[in-house]
This record gives sequence, structure tokens and C-alpha cells, in this order.
Amino acid sequence: MGIDEKFTAIRKGLLEFLVLKVIAAEKVYAADILRQLGGTEFATQEGTLYPLLSKMRREGLLDYEWKESDAGPPRKYYELTAKGKSQLRETSEYWQKINGTVKAMGPKSA
Amino acid sequence: MNKVVTINLNGNAYQLEEAGYDMLRVYLDDAARQLAGNPDKDEIIADIEQAIADKCRALLNSSRSVVLTKQVEQIIAEMGPVEDGSAKSPDDNPGAPSGGGSSASSQPAENPDDAGPVKRLYRIYEGAMISGVCNGLAAYFAIDPTIVRVIFVLLAFVTFGGMVLAYLILTMVLPSARTGAEKAAARGAPSTAQEFIRRAREGYYDATRTFHDKAAHREWKRRFKREMSGWSRNFQQEVQAHAHQWQANWQEAWRYHPGAYRGLWFTLSILSILSAVVSFAWIFASISLLTTGAVFGIALPSGMPLWVGFLILFVALQLFLSPVRAVRHTLGRHGWGGGSPCAPAFFGLWDAFVWLGVVALLVWFADRYVPQAHQALVNLPPALHSAAESIKHWWAQQ
Repeated sequence: MGIDEKFTAIRKGLLEFLVLKVIAAEKVYAADILRQLGGTEFATQEGTLYPLLSKMRREGLLDYEWKESDAGPPRKYYELTAKGKSQLRETSEYWQKINGTVKAMGPKSA
Repeated sequence: MNKVVTINLNGNAYQLEEAGYDMLRVYLDDAARQLAGNPDKDEIIADIEQAIADKCRALLNSSRSVVLTKQVEQIIAEMGPVEDGSAKSPDDNPGAPSGGGSSASSQPAENPDDAGPVKRLYRIYEGAMISGVCNGLAAYFAIDPTIVRVIFVLLAFVTFGGMVLAYLILTMVLPSARTGAEKAAARGAPSTAQEFIRRAREGYYDATRTFHDKAAHREWKRRFKREMSGWSRNFQQEVQAHAHQWQANWQEAWRYHPGAYRGLWFTLSILSILSAVVSFAWIFASISLLTTGAVFGIALPSGMPLWVGFLILFVALQLFLSPVRAVRHTLGRHGWGGGSPCAPAFFGLWDAFVWLGVVALLVWFADRYVPQAHQALVNLPPALHSAAESIKHWWAQQ
């Protein structure tokens, strides 16, 4: 089992966190999110992203508005709700905590 | 020259080659199936159609107005399989105690399929001997799997193999418990988020412990080998005894009831069905061994080359079919000798007819209910085509 495979589940769990971060930075549409994640360890496909976005919207973490685009039909631009922002804050804090724990554990050089 | 199909993707018309259209149809149908039960299904499908439309538009210009099959194939590959994000899943990924986003804990059972502690009959691969049917039954009735297995084997003898057929049917019909929710449902345990996390964690630590512990790994391998060899020896003896018994039974029946062959058609059909099912399962197992390195969820032990796996499969097939063949042979020789002269021909014809019918039925079933099988069948024509091309190419070079 490669390291990549071992972390499949963790990447999957972190994806929502990263999507929150991407959307927090600016109003984006789905292709923007895919572009930003592409090339990282979190590269994602439409087939995964759209159901995730719809789930997050259902949970009240984000919302979207339709905007005209110069090329083609109008697009959905996503932004975080207040709940989404607070969730991002909590998740970030928790992530910091985990990071700290990982660093503090075991030999200091690792 | 290829036929072109015009489609409507989220309100815009696109022209696709027919084969490409079929592929897209399959992809979107699969997506709809994945999202069944998701309250936002229609919206997600619309988003996905829009994304496909965007990709199509990028490929078209004033001199090119049709999306080619190859391009559709690529678009589908880019889109990736649609996964229902609302299905909680620390499931098949042990060690995911709900990362940062907490997809598991923040969402109590929402999918109607796994709401609450509903008990359902599943096959369970973990700790399974063959395909997890007995394991699943044991979990369902909350008894020891060994007891269920012993009962199964005893019944197989008493029913002269009828139970084997029942087992095969159960293997085909019962869904396997893949996700955490399904595994919980198989045992009837409440499918709460905590429960998932606890199980995921346990599974994770187990896996890592045996992974690093070389001695444990060796011990496991040794035990596995011993069990396998003992099992296969017993199995061979059983099969041989069984075949003789069967032959003897039928010869006996022939001797005492020379005219009583009304049941023969029925028996013959059952045997044909049995051998067809076994052959189908064998082909399915071979394909899955080739593509995934595992058969019915049982992976080859590490270090074992693939051809050994195929050899084992082949031997298993022969072992399995030998009693069936013996009985068919006996029937053919004794069962029809006294009838009309054309009876043996009918025998063969009927046999082949039933065999083909069952294989066709199974292929249809797999096509309809197993998305991977459907995909494989859809991909078959291009695969055959390219195979034919390469043969032609090779021929031209000679």
C-alpha cells in the first residue's frame, strides 16, 4: 500500500475543508475550484465536486448566485454563508491542533 | 460515415456521434443511479450536464460541429464517476475519523437506505471463505459463521448439490456490504456516526499492526496456506465421492424405473443451468482476477503470480463441473437409450438451449444491475474493433 493510497481517506475528508478555503478567498464557480485544486494532492473531478457542493449548500455552509458569463450560459458563483465561515474557522483551528499534535509527537527531527 | 445524434444538454443543442451518445447516456444514467435518494439529484445532474456542455463547446468551432466519440470518451474520463457526497463514508476507507470536514459526524443518517438500525441480508467479504454468503447469514442471525458453513455443507450433501445452486444464486442476488452503513445493517447494529468511526479506527489499527509486524504476517501466510491445502484436499475427496454417489443414484433409478423419465427433462435443465451458472461465475471471476487481482473480493496472497490464480480458478471449475458432467454423461448414456432413436439429439439440443438461455439471462442481469459489467459490455465493441484492427495490421505485415 503506497503512501498515496494510505492517505486516500484523509484527503477525502479534507476536501470539504479545502473547498471552504477556496470559496472563502473569493466568489468562484465550479471550474475555478477544480482549477485551483488541480495539480495539488486534492485534484478533483466534476463527478465528485458537484455532489459535494450540493451537500454543503444543503447543510447551509455555502450559497450561490447566477452570474452572466461572457462565454456561454450563466454560471453559479459560490460564496460562504455565515455558518460556512464559522465552520471554516473551527476546522482551521482543529487542523492547527492536529498539526501541532503531529509535530510534538515522537522524535523532534521527523 | 457515422450517424449523428442531437442532444439537449441543459437547454443547448449539441451533436454527438451515435456511439458517443450511447456512452454519455450510460454515464448520466449511472450518475442518476448514484444520486438516487439525494434530495438535490436533479440540480446536480443539471450541473453535470452543464459542465459536459461547457467541455463540448470548447471542442467545437465554425469548422467542426460534431463531438466525436473519442472526445466524448475523454470528457467522461475528465468528469470522473459521480459519487454521492451525502453518503457518509468512512466506510471502505478505514482510518478516516472524519478528517477536517467531518462528513461523517455532522450528518446523521440522511440517506433513506441506511436510516436507523434496519437489518438487511448482505454478503460480507471480511473473513469470508468463498463469497461471504454464509458470513452474511451468520451476521444476520447473529450466530457463528462456522455453524452456518457446516449447515450449508451438510445441506449440500442431503440435497445432492441443490444447496450449491442455492449458494450460487445467493451470491448473485445478495448485495455485498461495502459501506459502513451496509455493514452495520448486515449485523442490525445501529448505524450511528460514532459506531462508524469506532469501527473505522479499529480496522485501521488492525491493518497497520499486521502490516508492520513481519512475524504476524508470516504466521498468517503459513496458516492460510495450510488451510487452503487442507480445504482443497477435502474438497476433492468430497467431489469425487459426490460424483460417484450421483452416478450410482441415477443408475439405480434407471434400473428400477425404466419408464419413469418424466423428471429427466427437469433434472437435465437444472444441470444445464448449474453448469451455465458455474461457467459464467468462472468467466466473471477470471475477468475480475485479471483486472483487479482479486476474486469475489478475495485478493491473491501477496507474492503469488497471476497465472497461479488462473490455474487455481481453472482447477476449481473442473472440480465443480466434474460431478455435473458425470451425471449429464450418465443421463445421456442410460436415460435415453430406450427412447426413440432421435432422443440423444434432442438431449443435446435441449442441453445447449438451456445453457445458452441461462448465460444470456445472466449477461442481461449483470448488464442491468452491475454498473461495471454494463460499462465493460458497452466498451466491448470498440475493444473488439481495435483487436480486429491489430490482427489486420499484423496480417498486412506478413
